[in-house]
Amino acid sequence: MKKILALVLTACMVVPMTACAGTAATTTAASTSAAADSTTTAADGTDAAAQSDATVVYWSMWESTEPQGQVIAKAVEAFTAETGIKVDLQFKGRTGIREGLTPAMDAGTVIDMFDEDIDRVNTAFADYTMDLEKLSAKYDYEATANPGLIAACRDVADGTLKSIPYQPNVFAFFYNKAIFTEAGVTGVPATWAELLDACAKIKAAGYTPITCDDAYITCMIGYHLARLVGEEAVVDIVTNNKWDDPAVAQFAIDYAELYSLGYLSANISGNVWPAGQNTELALGEAAMYLNGSWLPNEVKDITGPDFSWGCFSYPALAGGVTGTEAANYGAQVMAINKDSKVSDEAFQLICYLTQGEYDQMMSVESVGIPADTSNTQWPVMLSDVQPVMAALTTRYSWAAGVESNADMTAVIKANVLNLCGGNITADEFVANMKAGKS
Amino acid sequence: MKKNRGMIVAFVTPALIIFSIIFLYPIIRTILMSFYKIENVTDSMSEWSFSGLANFNKLLTTPLFGTAMWNLFRIWFIGGIIVMSTGLLFAVILTSGIRFKRAFRAIIYMPNIVSAVALATMWLQYVYSPKYGLLKDIFTFLHLDSLASIQWTDTNHKFWALLFAYCFGMVGYHMLIWLSGIERIGVEYFEACTIDGANKFQQFRHITLPLLKGVVKTNITMWSVTSVAFFVWSQLFSMVTTDTTTITPMVYMYMQVFGAGNAMTERNAGLGAAIGVVLSVCVVCIFVLTNKLLKDDDYEI
Repeated sequence: MKKILALVLTACMVVPMTACAGTAATTTAASTSAAADSTTTAADGTDAAAQSDATVVYWSMWESTEPQGQVIAKAVEAFTAETGIKVDLQFKGRTGIREGLTPAMDAGTVIDMFDEDIDRVNTAFADYTMDLEKLSAKYDYEATANPGLIAACRDVADGTLKSIPYQPNVFAFFYNKAIFTEAGVTGVPATWAELLDACAKIKAAGYTPITCDDAYITCMIGYHLARLVGEEAVVDIVTNNKWDDPAVAQFAIDYAELYSLGYLSANISGNVWPAGQNTELALGEAAMYLNGSWLPNEVKDITGPDFSWGCFSYPALAGGVTGTEAANYGAQVMAINKDSKVSDEAFQLICYLTQGEYDQMMSVESVGIPADTSNTQWPVMLSDVQPVMAALTTRYSWAAGVESNADMTAVIKANVLNLCGGNITADEFVANMKAGKS
Repeated sequence: MKKNRGMIVAFVTPALIIFSIIFLYPIIRTILMSFYKIENVTDSMSEWSFSGLANFNKLLTTPLFGTAMWNLFRIWFIGGIIVMSTGLLFAVILTSGIRFKRAFRAIIYMPNIVSAVALATMWLQYVYSPKYGLLKDIFTFLHLDSLASIQWTDTNHKFWALLFAYCFGMVGYHMLIWLSGIERIGVEYFEACTIDGANKFQQFRHITLPLLKGVVKTNITMWSVTSVAFFVWSQLFSMVTTDTTTITPMVYMYMQVFGAGNAMTERNAGLGAAIGVVLSVCVVCIFVLTNKLLKDDDYEI
């Protein structure tokens, strides 16, 4: 009995070790990504992926439980049924892609297509992406694609199309229309003065005008500075520590004013995401929040279906270089591995996922913006986003570039939170930034 | 027993090979990487560009890394004192013959089993919440309104909020180590002690503590190793973007190796490797120091 037990246990130990020996050598971070959901036919060590009939290996940034993941799974099934092309769909999650994609590709794992944020794919993963100009022309993709997004994709990849956008998003002020109506605010603020005006009315009606969380607080300073001096100057200020720029002092004065007039939430300096958006905005206590168009989807279980969402672009500032026509908009994008042997089939899958029926399904299920311009029906919750997005001509990158210096982001965040919470004055803010401390 | 060299080699070699591949090779490669500038952590050696001690210089001159090391020092030192003393207190209480020892031990150890994500979410969104949090409710009930209105997660308080929440979760683990150390002490010493008329405090000072020297070394080493790797709690208390109040060297390393949260920042895996080297040297120093200061070979049990 003991001998049999010993034999079984030895087998249990040896078999997984030999199986793992075939897997791509990865860091421990990548091994946690492999532990994340891997659906359908995937077995560890897919170097044995069939070369005879085409199988497209697709590493997705979503989790299988997210609405986007569920729609993709359905679409993939229908795609295989329709075209006979097999798809090995693996849900890696955000960290799985961010940490594990490039190590896996370096180690020779067969990955044909993947998706992630537009900036990450075209900068961090740029060396791994295939030029898609020919395929896009072959399938006439741009006939129904959003021209602004395709232009952004080309722009970020230095003029070549290397990724196909889907799940577009825009970063702007989202507000509770019911509060605006109750407070008597008509229209949306287009200038800073109008914003202050609206805040005064909302405060008088007994609501918190503006709230935020620590995760997005850098976007507030980023947008404000970019309105004043443009994104390039913002990147310059942050990377070369030019904190004596008058725009910085202007930001500090403006936000110190917001605090002193009581237009910012009392909890703004202590809100750890998602406290602000969940407990203040979604519950109808705060009116406005600078956030992304994914917000209605994130809080839909808290707000319920009757919540009336409004949207407006960050107001223009007096003497500013950019105005409401500029905002951070982007998308998730799909890209094809430059070493892929099934690039045509992969592009067919991309078309299937980002156009027509499944693009519409994605938009409905995830309360997101459709990528295909022929899907003109946007989700009701995002109907106010349509005019904002249509009016955008200038693209900011995330937080208008204020997070470009990894060594300063934490300091900026701490100081802005302190300023918004009234713990430091405008002058102290500028002094702290110059000294590089918080 | 006859020493059979062949057998010794045959049994030791597999373990040695696995050890070299899994431990030795990465250590050597990381040390090598710390002298280069490397964009992608899995780039082949041909794509590395030699930079000598530039990475280490950069660490010395970056204020944010200094902040991270200072945060880590406070977590290690102050957190260590809190966790060790509380753990020791619980261990001594549990070995003094109270009822329901097993239940208390399980309860105190429970936070260690719960995932850090779940624990941190509970602390952040419930205990520390300024709207309906546990602390706010307790203080309002006690009519301590100034304490009730404190924003526990704002810049001035976040570090201590983080430290307290972390220590709460770690006490159980170290308490168990103390417990095993105390239970190893022969019962006859305590009996002799009681016969000679010593009270609980004298017993603790003269019997328990001296005989726990080895366990002190174990606890300090284990605490140092886990606190140097302080990462998940920092990430959870500062989602998406890092904070000067919660940043630790591991978080800074992650940013350098994989890029920042949403913005595309410059990556340098070599700098990350340098941070790893610095942290390892710190732990080795602590280990050597504790070994020198706490010699436990002058007692015979």
